[in-house]
Amino acid sequence: MKVLLIEDDRLLAREIAKALREENCAVDVAANGEDGQHLGNTEAYDVAVLDLGLPKVPGAQVLRAWRQNGRQLPVLILTARDGWTEKVDGFKAGADDYLTKPFRMEELVMRLRALVRRSAGHVAPSIVCGPLSFQAQTGVFELNGLPIKLTALEWRVLECLIMRKDTVVDRTVLVEKVYEGDAGTDSNSLEVIVARLRRKIGRDMIRTERGRGYRLAESDL
Amino acid sequence: MLHATSLSRRLLLAASVFICAALIIAGVVLFFVLHRFVQRQIDQRLDTQIAFLSSMLGSQNGVLTLSGNADGPPFDGHPRGWYWEAIGPNNTLRSRALGDRDLDISKIAIRLPPPLRPPPPPAGEDRPPPPGSRPAPGDDIGPDQQRLHFRILHTTVSGMPVTIVATAPRAAVLGPLREAMTTLAISLLALAIALVLAMIFQVRLGLQPLERLRRSIAEVRAGRSDRIAEVQPREVQPLVSELNSLLEQNALNLDRARRHVANLAHGLKTPLATLAVALPKDERGTEMHELVELMERHIRHHLGRARSAALNGPVRAHTVLAPHITDLGAVLGKVHADKHVDFSVDIAGDLAVACEEQDFDEMAGNLLDNAFQWTRRRVDVHAGMKGGNSVVLSIEDDGPGFDLEQVPQVLQPGQRLDERAPGFGFGLSITRELAELYGGSLEFQKSPAGGVRVVVTLPKALNGAE
Repeated sequence: MKVLLIEDDRLLAREIAKALREENCAVDVAANGEDGQHLGNTEAYDVAVLDLGLPKVPGAQVLRAWRQNGRQLPVLILTARDGWTEKVDGFKAGADDYLTKPFRMEELVMRLRALVRRSAGHVAPSIVCGPLSFQAQTGVFELNGLPIKLTALEWRVLECLIMRKDTVVDRTVLVEKVYEGDAGTDSNSLEVIVARLRRKIGRDMIRTERGRGYRLAESDL
Repeated sequence: MLHATSLSRRLLLAASVFICAALIIAGVVLFFVLHRFVQRQIDQRLDTQIAFLSSMLGSQNGVLTLSGNADGPPFDGHPRGWYWEAIGPNNTLRSRALGDRDLDISKIAIRLPPPLRPPPPPAGEDRPPPPGSRPAPGDDIGPDQQRLHFRILHTTVSGMPVTIVATAPRAAVLGPLREAMTTLAISLLALAIALVLAMIFQVRLGLQPLERLRRSIAEVRAGRSDRIAEVQPREVQPLVSELNSLLEQNALNLDRARRHVANLAHGLKTPLATLAVALPKDERGTEMHELVELMERHIRHHLGRARSAALNGPVRAHTVLAPHITDLGAVLGKVHADKHVDFSVDIAGDLAVACEEQDFDEMAGNLLDNAFQWTRRRVDVHAGMKGGNSVVLSIEDDGPGFDLEQVPQVLQPGQRLDERAPGFGFGLSITRELAELYGGSLEFQKSPAGGVRVVVTLPKALNGAE
C-alpha cells in the first residue's frame, strides 16, 4: 500500500509517515500543495492523505485538480477545521473520507486500508484467495487461518497482488507501488521478494506471466 | 419637575406652561382693554348728560333752574343708578329718580381739582360752559348702597359756580364686561385646549423619527437587519451614522475575536495531532491519548462557544434543507461505505429554516453522523412544517437505539453511551446548544424501526423577499 501524504506541518508529517511505515506502507511526503498535486498526477498511489490547509495550493484545489485530471485515487482529507460545511466542501471536491485533527493513528490506518480495499472493488473486509486471506481492516495475512510474518516489502507486494487477485499486475506498477519515490528501484530485488513470498505462501500461488508481470490466484489442483 | 425620562413630557409640559401663561396674559390685557372701552362708552354717555344739563341750566335770582326735561332714559330711574345732580350755591337740582336723596360727592370732590375760577363775564346768559372744562371721573357708593360711577364737572352758570354730577351704576360697566369676559374666557380656554392638543400632535409627529429609529435598532438587535436605515431626519442622521459606525466596529471586533479563537484552536490542533500520532502504543500512550482527547474537547467546546456567542438571532438566514441533507448524506454514505446504508430523504424542495448554513450543517451533520454510525441498514430523514413558524426535521435509524432515560446523559458535552465508538457524543450537545440558540429544540424518540428518532425543531425561514 503506497500512500501520498501531503501535510505542511513537518513534525506531524514525519510522525504520520513513521507510523504508516510501521504498518508496512510506502509513504511519499509532500510539504505543500504544489508538490503534492504534482506527485499525485505523476506517480501511482493507492491512497492519498491530504491536509486541507496547505501553503501554495490549498488542499481542496489540489483535489479538484486531480479529479479534473481523471486521477481516481481515494483521498482522505485531514483537517483542523471540523465543521460539517468544510467536510461537505471537501467531499464535493472529490474526497472519499475525512479525519479531523487530532486523531488516533489506528483510526487513520484503518480508514486508509478501507479506502484502498473499496477502491480495489472489494466489498468485504476480508479478501480470500485459496488458503491465503487478507484482513484488510488489520492488515494481517493468514495462511490456512494462521498469521504469516512478512517484511514490509513482502507485505506491500502481497497486498498489491491480493488486491488485484486473479489479474496480472504489471511489473512496473508493482515496483511503483512497493518502493517509495526516493528509494532506488531495482527490479531484481522485486524478483527476490517474490521468491521469498513464494517460499512463505506456496510456490503456485504467485504466477509469473512472462514479459508482463505477476498474478496471484488459487493454485490449480 | 421636568423629568429627564420623557422628551415628550418635557416638551408638552413646557408648551402647556407657555400656552397657559400667554393666554392668561392675553386675557388680562383684553380685560383691561375691554374695561376701558366700556368705561369710555359710559363716560361718553354721562358726559353727554352733563353737557346737556349744563346747556339747559340757568339761574333766576341765584337759584339754579332747568329749562327742560333731563330725565330721559337711562336717567328715568330704570335701571337704578343712572342719576344726575346740579349743585348750585343756593339750591340743588337732581334727577327725578333720586327723589330727595343727595349724591355724596364729598369723598370724590376732595380728590377733584378745585372748582374753576369764575370765568370772564359771559357775553350771553345761555352761553355753554367754556370748552376745556371737562368732567372728571370718580367711584363711590350711591344712595342705594350701590356702587356708582361718577362724572363731575365744576362749571359756572350765569356766573355761579355749579357742580354738575352724573352717575351710572358700576354694574353698567361690569355687566357687559363680565359678559364679554365670560365669552372671552371660554374662547381662550378652548384655544388653550386646542393649542395643547396641537402641541401633543406636534410632539408625536416630531418624535416619530425617534420611534422609527428605536424600531430600526430593535431590528438590528433581533438580527433581522445588520445596520440602521440611513434615511433619517437631518437631526437624527448624525446619531444614526454614529450608531452604524459603532455596529460596524462591533462586528469587526467580534469577527476579529472569532478569527483569533479559531486560529488559536486550529493552530493547536496540528501539534496536538502530532502529539497523538507520536504517542507510544503502550498503556502509558493510551493514558496520554485520553489527555489529548480531553484537550481536543476543550478546544472544540470553546470554538463552538465563540461561534455561538457571535450569533445574535436568526440573521435573515435562509437555508434550504433538501440540498444540505443530500450533501451530508452523500458524505456520510462515503464515510460509512461498508454499511451500504439505505438513505432516504423526504423533504419538500423549497422547505427552508432560518439558520446559518454552517450551523444547520453542524446540527444535521452531527445527527446524521450518529444515525449512520448506529444504523443497521436504513436512515430516513423527513422534514415538514409545524404550525406556521417552525420546521420539524426528524432523523431515524434502525440501529439498536438507546434507553430514553439515558437522553440527558447523551446531551452532556463529551458524553458517550458507547465509549468505543469514535466521535460520538460531543456532537449532540453542540447540536442541542445550536438548536436552542435558534429558538428551536432537540428531542429523542424511539423510532418504529427500533432505533432512535431525533427530532429537531427550528424556526422557519422568512420568505426570500423579507
